[in-house]
Amino acid sequence: MTAKRKFNIGDRVSVVDKTTLFHHRTQKFTRGQSGVVTEYRPEWVIPEDEAFDPAGNGRKEPFYIVRFKQDDLWPDYTGHHIDTLETEFSESWLEPATSKGKR
Amino acid sequence: MATMQYDKLLTKVRNLSPEERDVLDSPYTIPNELYAALRSVLHDVGGQPDTPQPYFLKEEEDWEMNAYLTSECLAWRGAWNSEMRRRRENDLGATEYFGLPYYARWITGAAKALVDEKLITVDELSAKIDEIRERLEAKKK
Amino acid sequence: MSTRHDGHGHGEAPGEFQIATKVSEFEILELAVRELAIEKGLFSAEDHRKFAEWADGIGPHGGSKLVAKAWVDPEFKQRLLADGTKACLEVGIDWLQPTGSGTPSDYTFFYVLENTPKLHNVIVCTLCSCYPRPVLGMSPDWYRTPNYRRRMVRRPREVLAEFGLHLPEDVELRVHDSNQKSRFMVMPMRPEGTEGWSEKQLAEIVTRDTMIGVALPAPNRKSDTKTETLVSGGRRR
Repeated sequence: MTAKRKFNIGDRVSVVDKTTLFHHRTQKFTRGQSGVVTEYRPEWVIPEDEAFDPAGNGRKEPFYIVRFKQDDLWPDYTGHHIDTLETEFSESWLEPATSKGKR
Repeated sequence: MATMQYDKLLTKVRNLSPEERDVLDSPYTIPNELYAALRSVLHDVGGQPDTPQPYFLKEEEDWEMNAYLTSECLAWRGAWNSEMRRRRENDLGATEYFGLPYYARWITGAAKALVDEKLITVDELSAKIDEIRERLEAKKK
Repeated sequence: MSTRHDGHGHGEAPGEFQIATKVSEFEILELAVRELAIEKGLFSAEDHRKFAEWADGIGPHGGSKLVAKAWVDPEFKQRLLADGTKACLEVGIDWLQPTGSGTPSDYTFFYVLENTPKLHNVIVCTLCSCYPRPVLGMSPDWYRTPNYRRRMVRRPREVLAEFGLHLPEDVELRVHDSNQKSRFMVMPMRPEGTEGWSEKQLAEIVTRDTMIGVALPAPNRKSDTKTETLVSGGRRR
């Protein structure tokens, strides 16, 4: 059941910026951004498949929590430099960190 | 909708659009940028510019809890699942997604799912709606 | 009354409710879907009743109990932080209820986020309104609004300020966008002035908003008073 994970806690990763249609759960504001893996999450059917199968069948992937600096996500962030945001990705949405984000 | 005059309904539908928006009425052609914006998945609202609004709690109506329960029971027994429900809320389109109260989005999506999955037919659904409306209105009198 | 959104909404109810004297079309649609589903054997009336009974029993009191217990019992706190779903069983919350495999919408991956003097957590679901129902009950209506979903990720300190919560500059504000299968609850810090309090007394000040992260518990604060209640017809109470 548990395939080997591609990423480890502490790894710097980027969120893939690819075309999406109809349904997915990878927020636009994370695309092309880089952050750090902070938690592993269990393998589960990816939402892109689950959303189209009444029985909830589909491809399974491990999930990860990634932490971003708010300053990186929003050019006009009005909070403080130490503020962060965490959200979750299935493995195929992540790649080893490229540069510091594309935007 | 049997309870509304046709013209009155048409006017209401026509006025649903937000006051400030790009006018779109099936244009002959659109640029790629607009197409990208149009196919952006509706629920992905995080970070969109918005102004402070008062936050409310609403007194729960019976149908709202029932919409939750019916949606969950349908998923429990395999007619759909919660990710399909969320996808179907997107599939309602912008006007209904942002126009319907929260649980009305759920139950409208559920009705559509049952039709799409061929578990019920549209005419069964509309007949049932008319039957129930009559029953409830008789009870209110 | 116009239902058009003016972009300011000063004192305007966000939308128009079905007029109470008429039968609600939403009530009709829900009943139609439910009756057809039961007639076709998609689920049973008993399923609906059983789910309703479970839903009646959930609420923020579940989370309050977890936090209060963690405040007085450091070992329980460690267990709660290590495996939220499992630790819930100790206060009688079973994430596998009511179906035997959990609710369809909540999954069973529950994580507790601990506030510290240097870290404040807050939850949002920008994509829908994912919320840890088994421990907090149904989400408050404002939590589900596109407005909260839009702004909490990008202007979190401003939204918190609207709730009356002003965090110092040296406290990291961490927003958790609950976008997949994980469900989160914030464990606030135990406030001063509660020394010697019983678990039951402590639970009373752990309100829903403190577990979402938009408020802090205080000895004299036993309810979330920031938001107003709308009743049918859009009137305020």
